[in-house]
Amino acid sequence: MNHPQIAAFARLAKENEPPLRKLEGQKTLLSRTMHDLAYDAIHDEIVVTSPFAQAILTFRGGASGEEPPIRVIQGPRTRIVEARALDAVAIDPVNNEIYLATSAENILVFPREANGDVEPIRVIGGRDSPVGSRSRMRIDPVRNWLVVSDPRGVLVFDRTATGNARPRAVIPGPRTGYEQFALSPTGLLITHREGIIEAWDLEEGLRLFENARGDEQPVFRPSWRITAQIPESHQTGGSGITLNPAENEILTSIAARNHIWTFVVPEAFQQEGALNTAAR
Amino acid sequence: MLSPNPSGIARDRTLRGVAVLAATAFAIWPFTDNTSARLVSVQALPEAAMCAWEPDGTGIPSDLDVTPDQLVSLARERSQQASLFAALRQGLQQRNLFAAVQRGRETVIPALVEIARAPVRTIRDTYPQYTAIAVNLQTDEVILQDINLWSTRVFNRLDDTPASAQFLEPKRIIQGPDTHIQFNNGLYVDPQNGDIYSVEADTGDRMVVFGRNAEGNVEPKRILVTPHRVYNIAVDEVKQELFVTREYPPEVVVYRKEASGNEEPLRMLQGHNTGLEYPHGLAVDSKNQLLYVNNWGMTDQPALPGSGRFNPPSISVYPLDVAGDTPPLRVIQGDRTRLNWPGAMAVDPETGELYVANDVDHSILVFSRSMNGNVAPARVIKGAKTGLVNPTGVFLDTMHQELWVSNLGTPSATVYPLKANGDVAPLRTIRSAPLGFQSLTLGKSQALAYDSTRQQILTPN
Repeated sequence: MNHPQIAAFARLAKENEPPLRKLEGQKTLLSRTMHDLAYDAIHDEIVVTSPFAQAILTFRGGASGEEPPIRVIQGPRTRIVEARALDAVAIDPVNNEIYLATSAENILVFPREANGDVEPIRVIGGRDSPVGSRSRMRIDPVRNWLVVSDPRGVLVFDRTATGNARPRAVIPGPRTGYEQFALSPTGLLITHREGIIEAWDLEEGLRLFENARGDEQPVFRPSWRITAQIPESHQTGGSGITLNPAENEILTSIAARNHIWTFVVPEAFQQEGALNTAAR
Repeated sequence: MLSPNPSGIARDRTLRGVAVLAATAFAIWPFTDNTSARLVSVQALPEAAMCAWEPDGTGIPSDLDVTPDQLVSLARERSQQASLFAALRQGLQQRNLFAAVQRGRETVIPALVEIARAPVRTIRDTYPQYTAIAVNLQTDEVILQDINLWSTRVFNRLDDTPASAQFLEPKRIIQGPDTHIQFNNGLYVDPQNGDIYSVEADTGDRMVVFGRNAEGNVEPKRILVTPHRVYNIAVDEVKQELFVTREYPPEVVVYRKEASGNEEPLRMLQGHNTGLEYPHGLAVDSKNQLLYVNNWGMTDQPALPGSGRFNPPSISVYPLDVAGDTPPLRVIQGDRTRLNWPGAMAVDPETGELYVANDVDHSILVFSRSMNGNVAPARVIKGAKTGLVNPTGVFLDTMHQELWVSNLGTPSATVYPLKANGDVAPLRTIRSAPLGFQSLTLGKSQALAYDSTRQQILTPN
């Protein structure tokens, strides 16, 4: 964090191989505390926050060196506010939207191509919308879900939710917390915590919890769990995850170790089979 | 595993047994490839979920003694209702994630499929990454702060790594869970007793102090709780005060030099008028009673929506006893300054010159004591001969008239004449990786994204 950067490694990179390119330097407007970022494969763009300047930065997908962002969302009309660090962002490349959680206990939604001091097109928040400044978000444009992390598990909203919207369900169990999680196209929520990767069937979760009465306590468990066979270390803390469905790969990181692991999990991406997830 | 006996069983119970077997088969089928998956058990589907099988004209006797698989084949072959089973089978495939534990006749808990899997590739940097440097002039030792492997490494001052050497081993390493070293960034060495002060930039929120001969997995002799996101440390030995910068919210916090535990600071520099904008390096000029702080320019008023700004980097100058929401005496700022993510700084007590590790510019900038505004540095050390690669740490050895620099971009320490200028080769180099090695400079790789266009893994620090 003393040297903010966005590094791009070759997919097949291994130990001690330097990144192919790095975004770094004053003109990039990057700072530390980038705890989340998004790659838009449709438009070939990278979206990340600049936590201490209350801004959302969009870079060209192939940006390198001290290349400035192509768009910056910042200003009073944006309603962006963050008292701790603006570190969670999500995108919906299909519907061209950017999502940002703020310390005003809301989620702001901007058009993908927003630039400058612009108003959000939707604001989700209110007494019945338990979203917080540390919430991680992911969007499923096929099922029209907005999935939001929560200390209890996850919240599932309709993708177009606005205002004081209730989530469709509060699904306990998935260990999302304040870490990244991934969504597969078949509706699996995949989490990673310190070498433990779990997959949760959100459609099943909705079935159990969307209409549950207050006194009901349905049991919801992960569908499968992978225990990563990695060396132990006292350097612990901070977990990341992303998917590469084309190669049946799940990539994870543990921040404190500065390690990135690639796991081949074909079972997670097959159309048929016990794990039965055909991810994007 | 349940073993249904279809012989002589009514057709609906046969169907249930077949369903159970199907679930079992599908659940274990993918795990025949040497994974360590473990299927716990299988539950028969609740009867309410089963439709009565009413095939038309299947001609299958109800008491036919066949195995479940044979029955399935017959039914599919002969019955228009075989599609029902196919649909059921597909549903089981999709849902056999929920192979359930059966206790008696009641479904209790969906079982969990567990897999142990080793990674096929690991991206990591096995070498240290040096963020800060200090020299103990009494013991002639160079101390380097390693933020990658969470260690502090000690070398001899006159060490010079031969080009033919893979790298130079340190004479001592302080490292391990008992040291409480984590995300270590700033460094200070007591010029009198050689104590090593280490401040960290993230989760541990503490300063740890070791004796000068500390080695291995040893506990610190003192711990001070500090705010979150401390970057650097400097000490006024005259007043015995310790200064730390906090990146965000932007502050300079001053403690007693011997402070420990949860001791409260003596004073703080904080507030909108201070000009602190994502502060990093700092330097104490005890002789002239000045405090220097550099800033990367990001600023906001946290509770005020849309107040964020990107300003140019700067160096703010304050009285050494500054406190509260006090504006600087002067500010060095502008394109002529060449500041680009400035790191640690140090003041020459004799001349008042300010040395700045200028990270992304791969340079060392030297400003004269009176400089103000948009001014060029008096001297710049930069170029291919210098060996500077993302310098973030500096130390001035005025006894030997040498300038020490720690390089983050390749794990090394380089030393120059104190008055060096331009593209000058170092006098000596302490190298901790093979010649030409480029550090991955990963610094808390907490997030990931996959660039499917280029097949690249993206990770921010």
